[in-house]
Amino acid sequence: MIAQTLQSLPQVLVDGVTLGAVYATVAIGYTMVYGILELINFAHGEIFMSGAFIGTAILLVLNGAGWLAHLPKLLVLLLTLLVAMALTGLLGMGIERVAYRPLRHAPRLIPLISAIGVSFVLQDVVRFIAEWRTGNYIVTGVTLYGSEVNFGSITVKSNALFVLGAAVVMMAGLDLFVRKTKWGTAMRAVAQDKDTAALMSINVNRVIALTFFMGSALGGATGVLFAQQYGTIDPYIGFILGLKAFTAAVLGGIGNIRGAMFGGFVLGILEMFASAELGPLTGGVLGAEYKDVFAFIILIAVLLFKPEGLFGQAVKEKV
Amino acid sequence: MNVLEVSGVHKQFGGLVALDDVNFQVRKGSVTAVIGPNGAGKTTFFNLITGVYQPDRGDIRLEGKPLVGLRPDQVAMLGIARTFQNIRLFADLPVLDNVLVAMHGRLSARIPGILLGRRQIRQEERRAIGEAYWLLEYMGLAPYANEIAKNLPYGTQRRLEIARALATHPKLLLLDEPAAGMSPRETRELTEMIHRLREDFGLTVVLIEHDMKLVMNISEHILVLDYGRAIAEGPPEEIRNNPRVIEAYLGRGAVSGA
Amino acid sequence: MKDRMPRLRARLRQPRTQAMLLAAYTALSAAGLAFGGLSILWFLLLLVSLLLLYYSDLPRMVKWVWAGVVVAVLLPVCASNGSSYESFMEVATQMGIFVAMALGLNVVVGFAGLLDLGFIAFFALGAYTYAIFFSDQANHFIAGHHFPLSGDLFWLCLPVGLFVAALFGVLLGLPVLRVKGDYLAIVTLGFGEIIRIIFNNLDKPVNITNGAIGISSVQAPRFFGISLSFPHQFYYLVLVLLAIVLYAVQRLEHSRVGRAWKAVREDEIAAQAMGVPLVRTKLVAFAVGASFSGLMGVVFAAKQAFIDPTSFTMLESITILVMVILGGMGSLPGVVVGACLVTLLNIQLMPELTNWLNTLTTAGVINFPSALSPSKMQRLIFGIILILFAVFRPQGMIPAKTRRYDDAVLSRLAAEWRETAGGARRDGAHPAVPGYTSGHAAGQEGAKEGASL
Repeated sequence: MIAQTLQSLPQVLVDGVTLGAVYATVAIGYTMVYGILELINFAHGEIFMSGAFIGTAILLVLNGAGWLAHLPKLLVLLLTLLVAMALTGLLGMGIERVAYRPLRHAPRLIPLISAIGVSFVLQDVVRFIAEWRTGNYIVTGVTLYGSEVNFGSITVKSNALFVLGAAVVMMAGLDLFVRKTKWGTAMRAVAQDKDTAALMSINVNRVIALTFFMGSALGGATGVLFAQQYGTIDPYIGFILGLKAFTAAVLGGIGNIRGAMFGGFVLGILEMFASAELGPLTGGVLGAEYKDVFAFIILIAVLLFKPEGLFGQAVKEKV
Repeated sequence: MNVLEVSGVHKQFGGLVALDDVNFQVRKGSVTAVIGPNGAGKTTFFNLITGVYQPDRGDIRLEGKPLVGLRPDQVAMLGIARTFQNIRLFADLPVLDNVLVAMHGRLSARIPGILLGRRQIRQEERRAIGEAYWLLEYMGLAPYANEIAKNLPYGTQRRLEIARALATHPKLLLLDEPAAGMSPRETRELTEMIHRLREDFGLTVVLIEHDMKLVMNISEHILVLDYGRAIAEGPPEEIRNNPRVIEAYLGRGAVSGA
Repeated sequence: MKDRMPRLRARLRQPRTQAMLLAAYTALSAAGLAFGGLSILWFLLLLVSLLLLYYSDLPRMVKWVWAGVVVAVLLPVCASNGSSYESFMEVATQMGIFVAMALGLNVVVGFAGLLDLGFIAFFALGAYTYAIFFSDQANHFIAGHHFPLSGDLFWLCLPVGLFVAALFGVLLGLPVLRVKGDYLAIVTLGFGEIIRIIFNNLDKPVNITNGAIGISSVQAPRFFGISLSFPHQFYYLVLVLLAIVLYAVQRLEHSRVGRAWKAVREDEIAAQAMGVPLVRTKLVAFAVGASFSGLMGVVFAAKQAFIDPTSFTMLESITILVMVILGGMGSLPGVVVGACLVTLLNIQLMPELTNWLNTLTTAGVINFPSALSPSKMQRLIFGIILILFAVFRPQGMIPAKTRRYDDAVLSRLAAEWRETAGGARRDGAHPAVPGYTSGHAAGQEGAKEGASL
């Protein structure tokens, strides 16, 4: 049985890294917002989902108009990504403006509640549009790079390479942005101490808006890639995926961008491993259907034993 | 006889040493002040005594009983009550309930008894309300009993915090900057009140304070912290003239006060 | 005119006037329900009378008895005149179940300030506890063909369901309540989903829940030989349980336990410094809230005679949260009203609106896309309610009231206490204040086991 496990391991790793890239980029959105506002942006999973639908819609429209066959695929993918990023970025900013900013000084429970509200509204609006236009809220999109590449025993969708590539580029870009640019410095300053940052003539509201824009744009772009990779989407994919991405963020130490990336990959690989091996390892007692439970157990274990995450610093409330 | 004995207490946050091998004794029935420049580790010191933080090493004892390893609520039940530098009342609860909460550990009501409305528990509740209101009367807060705590004026909130602390029946009362933000008149009243509390409740008081006049007036013993170290300890006259203390304050051009 | 107003107002403040007006209003709405059309409107108006009753200055006992008469006699009797008696009772029963659950969630969210987004899981636990053992489902994993258990044992299963839910509340709370507050929300969200996934898949290796197919042919409860199967019978059952829940919640609110919950909600650090054990207090809140949910789960399974995992989704958890937020966190009348309104919206208003729109569409009057049908728009409506209330009215429709004490009563209690609080200190230093002895017996004992609730 171990031999079998070992044999399937490379495939599991490849699939896990692909899924991990998705978790990692979505986790960044959670971690950025949490780092700066100490708020769990429940709606982030739905922003990811909106991105997936926007991307799918663009491609479906292009396809319907018959343009898709004539345009270079790479250009189409890039354009779709950019449009989806811009739209979801704005969506994130709008959400912050409407549902979070008025509540910045409210008791901590209250912004969480409006965040859940936002996430429900998004789910239903997307469902409505999808169902209205296509007759069904479960939508199958156009896959640009559907071919499969074989490396020995490993099968990789060529699209997975784009998922990975784009995720790595975006993450590296963000990392550079936060570390090297003026706005990135301002972001870190606001995360440290809003009041002092404001005294240093940093426009805190703008920095927060920018944070939401960037986190959401990353989430939206990941949505597009996700739809490409897995083909079929529905308005409720953001919920469980958001939960897992959040787990990844906690795993890497919430507020820590590099930690979130790392956590995402770890979780992706663990989950793929669980869904492939849980059945064989437990003699069929537990199957792949428990892979979501598995992620959740990781979340609880991390919160219990290392609540600051793998790379975070323990923060004590000031008394 | 010492109520509180702190020996060799050390606390570090990351690379920052907040308290470095501090030794400290508090005599029963005394009023003791802990002073020092901002960031000297005074509040951390209180947090270590009350169990909010745990020391990295060292020992803290209340009347011989070790406190290290206990949770804040357990420390409170052993007889240490405190107020906070930046008032922490139960803001949305009525004044009376603020005081009643502090009797939590002394009351015995549990869910089955409460649901069955047992006589003994109703009796206990009546007495608790009686005592709470009596404490409010004592602190001059009785007219506010039904007010929501956050609506009280600042100085009154500080007094309520003390009333709440008293309701735990403490042996040792820790006051964290009780005079902060008070007018000179209010500060004078505070001085009298602390004396009165000590007499009436048989308390030992330790306070953190920046108002040197208050400190020199009220305390029999002073501990000076600077960068987490105890740089001096003794009666007010001695502290007033201690060159190290003067340096710690004046050397940085901070408060001269004394 | 001007000098009349104060006199009128004074009149209105008299309990007798209030009682008469209230009686008139109640009679009117009851008559409307019995003889008028548009029954749901009259039904609502009759329920409003309970709200007015709550705000009146009548003595507490009178209020309880009055409310009891309205819901136990007036409402069923008046509704029985119409053709849709049983469907009415069904709606009212559902309302009662949700009110009890919302009251449970209110303990967790409203009193203790802990956001639980997986509350329905406890309801599911109660429901499955009943369904598994009161159908032949349990025969799949317990040998000997003892099942289904007899409906007479339903009454025994009520406390069992309550206890199972409370137990799981504690089991979930133990690890989770130690971590920071906002993580709790996401962990409970996950927990709700996990419980559903488990129930959905626990048909193998051993068939415990029958998986996605669900459990059918669940025994009806029996009461002195009568098998309960009509909605009006369940209505009375729910009414009794709801009364118990209401009584329990309001007793707890103004007790040592309820104060500790609120203190923890307001400021954890200060609460701890005043001797309130944090984790234990939160755990108790969690367990109490869960237990109401579990209790109602048992009733739900018995009433439906069939359950499957689709009744226990996140949407249901959020529905209950919406009830609490809409009505007012920490406010018992608010939560009751919120639960009634949302239940009505869910099972009455939106389906009827959908039907109406469909009729219009079939008749060709309008072309209404089925994607937009109101019964599918729950999430949108709930989402908007949550956002609007969070931003503009976080205290809800009926904000929580604090209990006011009469100053004279307080003075008397204080004097009483001072008289009886004897005992000077034994160690010589006599404090002037009685009662404050250095013995501290209770305190020391408390510290040893960690002051307990």
